[in-house]
Amino acid sequence: MIQHSLVSVVDDDESVRESLPDLLRQFGFAVQAFSSAEAFLASEFVSQTNCLILDIAMVGMSGPDLQQELIRRRQSIPIVFITAHGDPTVRPRLLALGATECLFKPFSDDALLEALTKALG
Amino acid sequence: METPIEQPVDEITRLQRCVNDLVSILALPAMWTGGDPSHIGHTLIDSLASILTLDFVYVRLNDQVGARIEMVRGARLATPQAEDIGADLRHWFGDHPETWPPVVRCRIGDEDLSIAAVPLGFHGKLGIIVTGAQRVDFPEQKERLLLTVAANQASIALREAQVLSEQRGLAQELDRRVAHRTLELAQANEDLRREMAERTRAKTQLAGENELLQMVASGRVLADVLAALCRFVEETADDCICGAYLIDWRVPAFQNGGSPSLPTSFTAPIEGLPVRSELCPCGIAALEKRQVISADLESDPLWHDTAYRSLLLSHGLRSVWSTPILALSGRVLGTFAIYHRRPATPSPGVQELIAQVTHIASIAIERAQDEAALKRSAAFLAQGQHLSSTGTFSWRLDTDDIRFSEEANRIFEFDADSRVSLEQIADRVHPEDIQLLSEKVEFARRTGGDVDYEIRLRLADASVKYLRTIAHGSRDENGRMEYIGAIQDVTARRLSEQAFERARSELAHVARVATLGALTASIAHEVNQPLSGIITNAGTCLRMLDASPPDVDGARETARRTIRDGNRASDMITRLRSLFSKKEFTQELLDLNEATREVIALSLSELQRNRVVVQSELADDLPSITGDRVQLQQVLLNLLRNASDAMVGVDDRPRQLLIRTESEGRDHVRVTVRDAGVGIERQVMDKLFDAFYTTKSSGMGIGLSVSRAIVERHRGRLWAEPNDGPGATFAFSIPRDPERTTDAARIVRHS
Repeated sequence: MIQHSLVSVVDDDESVRESLPDLLRQFGFAVQAFSSAEAFLASEFVSQTNCLILDIAMVGMSGPDLQQELIRRRQSIPIVFITAHGDPTVRPRLLALGATECLFKPFSDDALLEALTKALG
Repeated sequence: METPIEQPVDEITRLQRCVNDLVSILALPAMWTGGDPSHIGHTLIDSLASILTLDFVYVRLNDQVGARIEMVRGARLATPQAEDIGADLRHWFGDHPETWPPVVRCRIGDEDLSIAAVPLGFHGKLGIIVTGAQRVDFPEQKERLLLTVAANQASIALREAQVLSEQRGLAQELDRRVAHRTLELAQANEDLRREMAERTRAKTQLAGENELLQMVASGRVLADVLAALCRFVEETADDCICGAYLIDWRVPAFQNGGSPSLPTSFTAPIEGLPVRSELCPCGIAALEKRQVISADLESDPLWHDTAYRSLLLSHGLRSVWSTPILALSGRVLGTFAIYHRRPATPSPGVQELIAQVTHIASIAIERAQDEAALKRSAAFLAQGQHLSSTGTFSWRLDTDDIRFSEEANRIFEFDADSRVSLEQIADRVHPEDIQLLSEKVEFARRTGGDVDYEIRLRLADASVKYLRTIAHGSRDENGRMEYIGAIQDVTARRLSEQAFERARSELAHVARVATLGALTASIAHEVNQPLSGIITNAGTCLRMLDASPPDVDGARETARRTIRDGNRASDMITRLRSLFSKKEFTQELLDLNEATREVIALSLSELQRNRVVVQSELADDLPSITGDRVQLQQVLLNLLRNASDAMVGVDDRPRQLLIRTESEGRDHVRVTVRDAGVGIERQVMDKLFDAFYTTKSSGMGIGLSVSRAIVERHRGRLWAEPNDGPGATFAFSIPRDPERTTDAARIVRHS
């Protein structure tokens, strides 16, 4: 059951932190948004998070860095990467490292829902 | 004085005797003919002594008759001495006989004598006759007569003798003078003969020397000249044998230069003989720069017990004179030796000959050495030219006489000895470069300035050579222009440069593409962020409206965010644009001609490399304009590059590029760049200035759009049009002062 699952959004872009939680709530998820990987790691929601929507390029710790850190902490949270860089070569690399999906901005709400369903299913 | 006649018979006898005596006296002159005064004197005194009865007779002849003579006869005087009598007489009568009294009685010796003196000649000039007798009556009348006649006769005879003597003297003098003169003539004749012989000899010698010098001048082999020189000396100076030896100072050792009359058994030991003063006279001559004479080797202690002495003596040679052959600089070139089969020392004449031939030998040797050095140097030069693939040439403008070096001929594939003409050169030049060549030739003829250009040859086998030509023009003393230059075959370098250039341009393209990729990625990121927000918000908005009941407030909020993100994206684009355009815009007064010249100079080598012939027509009276020099030069550079690029594939016509500046109306200037390239089709003319539009495989398509932006910032206009013939023309026109352009123009542009 995906209802009430906690989806955490980590992105340094404010517009994403504004818009994405609203859409996720429309989908029926509980949402927490963080402006950086460090902020997320420092929060109490790491262990409660059922799915992580993670920006790749961020100032400070990047999305893949956070992915590695979680693996190191044995926190197996399904991750959906999102990125504004249209470089298609990063996707297979991230998927190989265990990411559920990698979406290129701008992405449709259907694509997002599909990725979340896969992550939580 | 009268003598009384005593007896007639006696008287007759006396007279008969008297006549006889007179006849005897008168006969005297016959005896005297041709006689000298002494003879006359002696005959006279002897006759008087025999005819008259006297105790003494004294005759004295004066200097005038030829010689002073005193003589005396005296029957009764004991050993009468003429000088004594003379002295006595002078004692009695004084020193001058002409003043002596005619008759006087005086004592001479132990006797009293009657003395009678009769002068000879007028006033006794010729001398005097003095007679003396013990008789008191002496002289009688008859005796006086006889004395007077005798004196007269003697005077005449003495005069004649005197004349005769004078004549004889004259004749003798004449003979003497004739003899003297004859001797002088004979001497002169001898001198002349000697002089002529000397002259003949000198002439022969001079002819020989001239012949030798001619051999030297005509470049005969040194060995021949030196051999001829030896033979010449052997012929000129008697019975000698000569040898000329060269010195290789690097060893140092002697080499046989020429010795035609010496056998190998003599010359072989000298070949390679070290130049040392203890080994031979030539060693001393060479080392001490002086002549060494060994008159007789058998006795010369200097060469006692030497191999040299044995060598000479075994060949029958007894003497050697060795003379150094000196160059003008004083350097010893060799030695010249003269040998004799007998002991000998050189005469001054031979010394002169030696001086002369060693001088000629020095000229011959120096010339030979110079020639060898010249040949070596020419060989080095040819080798150097070959190694560096550089040929040299000279070109006389007035006659078009062109000389090519060996290497230049090789580069052009001309026959080594063929005459080179401009036509032949043009024949080898690549058809596309004929124009360039004729322009350079025309430039040289017109200005005489230095040229430095590259040109291609197309050879018979269709291969292409790249040549760099550098030449300097100068005038000779007659004001005739000549170019001296170097032609370097730079084909290998040019081909590798072209390969490098291709690699570089491909690399540059890759880099540009990579940069472009990074740029677009960055642009995409910046744009995708707000787009992502927009799409997410729009999706949320729709879902809120679709919900039941619809969340209208939420939908309104997301719609508001959508608008905000849309504006954000728009701002982003604006920011990107401003990022790409330079904000600073410098305004300065500038001469567009000068700026154009700089750009041409800057791109000339690249244009030349692309075989583009640049022509510029810059208006003399072009007004200054106000603008950004660097930006306008960027526009010009861009237009030149485009023009050059457009002609890269053109091979059927000259790649000509024309840059022109001119005034346009009262307050605009126009710059036109016209090429002979591939041209532009009408339909793409409008797209040309769009960013990212390009017809080139390696271009990004931003040059013309940036150029147009720059020109427009100067409130000017940039446009393109196809030529009537091949190629296209790009031009821009800008106002002299952008501040003064009307607002109307600005409005038109902005629309």
